[in-house]
Amino acid sequence: MLVVMAWRNIWRHKARSLVIMMSITLGLLAGIAVLALYEGMLVSRIRTVIDEETGHIQLHHPNFSDENESKFIIGDTTEIFKILRNIPEIIQINKRTLVNGMMSTPTGTAGVQVFGIDTATEFSYSSLKQKIKEGNDLTSYKRNQVIIGKKLADKMKLKIGSKLVLMFNDTTNNLVSSAFRVSSIYQSTNAPVDERLIYVSGSELSELLGLPGQIHEIGLKLNDDKAVDLVASKLKSLLPNLKVETWKEISPETEFMVKTVDSYSYIILIIIMIALAFGILNTMLMAIMERTREIGMIAALGASRIRIFFLVLLETVFLTLGGAPLGLLIGWLLSVYFNKNGLNLSGMGEDVLSSFGFKVIIYPSFPAEKLLPVLIIVVVTALLSSIIPALKAINMKPIDALKN
Amino acid sequence: MNDIVIDTHNISRVYNPTTIPVYAIKNLHLHIRRGEFTALVGPSGSGKTTLLNLIGGLDKPDEGQIVINGTDITKLSPGKLIDFRLHNIGFVFQSFNLIPVLTARENAEFIMLLQGISKNERDERIKQLFRQVDLEEQIERRPSELSGGQQQRVAVARALASKPQFILADEPTANLDSKSASNLLDIMNKLNKEENITFLFSTHDQRVIDRARRVITLVDGQIASDTEPIMTSYAH
Repeated sequence: MLVVMAWRNIWRHKARSLVIMMSITLGLLAGIAVLALYEGMLVSRIRTVIDEETGHIQLHHPNFSDENESKFIIGDTTEIFKILRNIPEIIQINKRTLVNGMMSTPTGTAGVQVFGIDTATEFSYSSLKQKIKEGNDLTSYKRNQVIIGKKLADKMKLKIGSKLVLMFNDTTNNLVSSAFRVSSIYQSTNAPVDERLIYVSGSELSELLGLPGQIHEIGLKLNDDKAVDLVASKLKSLLPNLKVETWKEISPETEFMVKTVDSYSYIILIIIMIALAFGILNTMLMAIMERTREIGMIAALGASRIRIFFLVLLETVFLTLGGAPLGLLIGWLLSVYFNKNGLNLSGMGEDVLSSFGFKVIIYPSFPAEKLLPVLIIVVVTALLSSIIPALKAINMKPIDALKN
Repeated sequence: MNDIVIDTHNISRVYNPTTIPVYAIKNLHLHIRRGEFTALVGPSGSGKTTLLNLIGGLDKPDEGQIVINGTDITKLSPGKLIDFRLHNIGFVFQSFNLIPVLTARENAEFIMLLQGISKNERDERIKQLFRQVDLEEQIERRPSELSGGQQQRVAVARALASKPQFILADEPTANLDSKSASNLLDIMNKLNKEENITFLFSTHDQRVIDRARRVITLVDGQIASDTEPIMTSYAH
């Protein structure tokens, strides 16, 4: 009967209860929206990292990542490729020759990371072809051509056909330089990458380095994101002479972002709930003050303090849970809609988003796996909000309450 | 005939004990036997409600003992006192004090639920109670849909629901018109005579005083007069 009483009590002031329920609906909707947006942004960022930057797994010479010297090549790739082609999860293999160097133009110099690529695989591996905004698509590739990012082009005032000189150390630490001409300008969703990465022919770069035909990196794409750790551990045992790294290890800032944004989204949700808790607390205190005499009477008749506490707690939980399902439902519907149609965030500034490596169109995703923690936060909010009113109710002396 | 239900020994209730003490009840001795139909009368401020609150375990005396059916309630812990009230004392308040969100039936059932009585027994007893207070037709109505007299009869049914040792009624007819008051008194009288239920009520109402078989007059927290109980109802 306490359940019946609690349910009917919250409808004694319909408008007041509906207002607080709507607040909870909106609060939860806001929380879900934040979680969904962050989830969408994270997914977008992770997809960019995997699909356009690192791939799922990369293989290097064990010393290459630490010392970053071009002499640390992978070596004979015949046997390695044979092993890789026998792993069913691997759907794409890409090879690169890498070197850090200096780019010199009439307007100045800039530090760059030079990727020596095989256009046949690189174009699809990192979606480079889709990112090219100006110039040819390198199908009619000529010698000493370079593809640079738009950000770098703007900074160095380079156009299609502009000449530049690349300088770097070869394997014997001699300074090598060579003139290149800008054939294409690309633009990705990651401005810092656009400012740093330039692409040249892999065979040309390896020749300049004195390592004809050699590569520094093998990138792999898998048929399933979840298979990364499994395939990585398999590769570690099959290729003990190579360093096997997953995208999380190569791009730790993305992994850090995933964890940080996860925590931030919960913090935002908790802040929303704290604000709501005060609304619930206020409503419940008003309800208790208005019913002082009634509560005193119930106590006089013989209802124990725990029963009165439970009654107030139930009313608070009903108020909270009354608004929660609607908030979840609207949140889910909006997430589904925007997940299908995308949410255009260009209003926030394309450059700003790009500088953090985010795309302009985000596809928010309903955080189904976070539903349980969200519901726990909501219920805990309700329980915490009910404590003060419930304590007030049980501390009433029946005789004083009846005089009210 | 010596079945004493309420026995107060030299009880006092003092307000402002450290500044200017005001005795609401002073050195009061009172015995109420099972089956009595007793009215507490006296001018305002004479201590009627305070005495009912003390006997009902809602307040504690500063001195003395209150023994209800052999239990000294002044020595009970707050938790045990709540439980004692639930099983031994029925209350009827001046302003009815029904739970507004519950129907008449649910108001009476609430007490039995607190006592942990089974559904079958509850249903059976509710039928009987509402027949006794002549409210069988209004059993599913909420207090707001009932007249004052009907609400007070529900309050009597609720007070009886726990099968208490006695019923304390604080000015039960004060908010009722004369017809409703007379009707309520008929019911209370009948319950007293036929079911041997003990009633102790405070009142200013001469109609109630006329129907009482014992009248205790309080003045300044002390018994000024006490008529002999007329125990005509103890035939069974």
